[in-house]
Amino acid sequence: MSTGIRVASLEDIPEGEGIAVAKDVTGTADDIALLRDYDGSVWALDDTCTHETASLADGWVEGGYVECPLHSSKFCLKSGEVQGLPATKSTCPHRVEIRDGEVYLFPNEAP
Amino acid sequence: MRRAVVVRRIVVVGGGIAGVGTVAALRAGGFDGDLTLVDAGEFPYDRPPLSKDFLKGDKDIKDIALQPQQWYDDQAVRLASLTTVTALRPDVGGVELSDGTTLPADRVVLATGGHAARPPIPGVASPLVHVLRTAEDADRLRSALTLGARVLVVGAGLIGAEVASTALDLGCDVVLVDPVHPPLAHAVGADVATWLHDLHTRWGIRTVHAGLESLVDRGAEVEAPGIGVFDVVVLGVGMAPDTALARAAGLDVDRGVLVDERQVTSTPAVLAVGDSARLRDGTRTEHWEAAQHDGQRAAATILGLPAPTTTAPWFWTDRHNLHVEVVGDMAAADVTVIRGSFDTPPFAVFGLRDGRVVGAVAVDDSTAVRAARRMIDRTLAVDPGRLADTAVDLRKLLRG
Repeated sequence: MSTGIRVASLEDIPEGEGIAVAKDVTGTADDIALLRDYDGSVWALDDTCTHETASLADGWVEGGYVECPLHSSKFCLKSGEVQGLPATKSTCPHRVEIRDGEVYLFPNEAP
Repeated sequence: MRRAVVVRRIVVVGGGIAGVGTVAALRAGGFDGDLTLVDAGEFPYDRPPLSKDFLKGDKDIKDIALQPQQWYDDQAVRLASLTTVTALRPDVGGVELSDGTTLPADRVVLATGGHAARPPIPGVASPLVHVLRTAEDADRLRSALTLGARVLVVGAGLIGAEVASTALDLGCDVVLVDPVHPPLAHAVGADVATWLHDLHTRWGIRTVHAGLESLVDRGAEVEAPGIGVFDVVVLGVGMAPDTALARAAGLDVDRGVLVDERQVTSTPAVLAVGDSARLRDGTRTEHWEAAQHDGQRAAATILGLPAPTTTAPWFWTDRHNLHVEVVGDMAAADVTVIRGSFDTPPFAVFGLRDGRVVGAVAVDDSTAVRAARRMIDRTLAVDPGRLADTAVDLRKLLRG
């Protein structure tokens, strides 16, 4: 079993915000957004909005969802499921683990 | 005594964002009866890209579908495409379709949108004069926006400014005329409006502050007296709501199909949403998200569910590679606070009244407008100094 990729310290990601991890680090098709909700939880989704080219890491994270910075489509942090137009496709979630204040990413593993 | 009517069959007329939003909200709200969406096109598509990526040719009609075909199957929505409703028959409980059939309906939701306005001036019927409302309009216009084409855009509001910006990107020689200066001041405040309008000049568009009195059709070109001679003229002077069905059925119509705050028209079995609906004693709104909210309210009304919570109105527009968002009501502000600098976007301007944010406009600053929206919705008292300080995280300001 994979031990994951250490991609950030928890303190690098302010609550309500996100950071993007480049695809050459994650080995995935898209960059991955690490998104931290106000309950302290950290989630990972494919970074590019499924509607137009926008980084979800620049989005608004709150209450279990991230809102795209361009046209406000919302995605579930846990499942990546799209909640409303203009996006119609869900995005891909990835598993995250926090160990000793460090964020480990498991690309392409279900959360 | 009011008798309970079991609603089993709903027809939604018009496949714009309001119509599609209505059927989505009906299913999300638990409606499991027959649901038909009647649309004149091949399938419902999104209109905002028509003046941007779609006009530019970066997206095709499939790219801007509001929902993939599979969605209609998954949601058990019968999509009656390439079809129009020719008459509402609330008396017999149905609608008549262009194919000659009558579709029974316990409730009808009108989401008929509108058509681009053409001012009644001489020369406006020239084939070189375009409007932009549908994908077909955009296709026609795109084929005219060739490299070096001399283009006159009439009206520097949202659509006009977007078309001017796109035409410039396509290599056209663009002139933008509007009788109002600065355009959009009512929506974004005079300072931002002036800054936005001046962007056109900085990018190489000639702006003209004048009213267009007439056009002269010279066959292969059109003259706008006092302005110039053009290969293409695009009218971006607003839209007129499509109310013919409602009017013919005897519904109350006055600059829109009149509805109450639950989207119900003067005929209880008929509701209206989106650009074609007007709240009695209110104004018509023509924005994308507002149309969806209308659909959600109409669905809640039909299903007897509580009305969805309201939120400050929001819209976006794009020009010259900048993303502009507006939330709330800038016209209601008595004080404005600038966050950042107009010289170096991102920046945002907040409108305050009695110490509370009532509106905001942001250029490339998504966080500012999302924070502002929440401040407006929560009627939060804010410190203008902190709002202006780019070192202060607006998310933290929101959390106290």
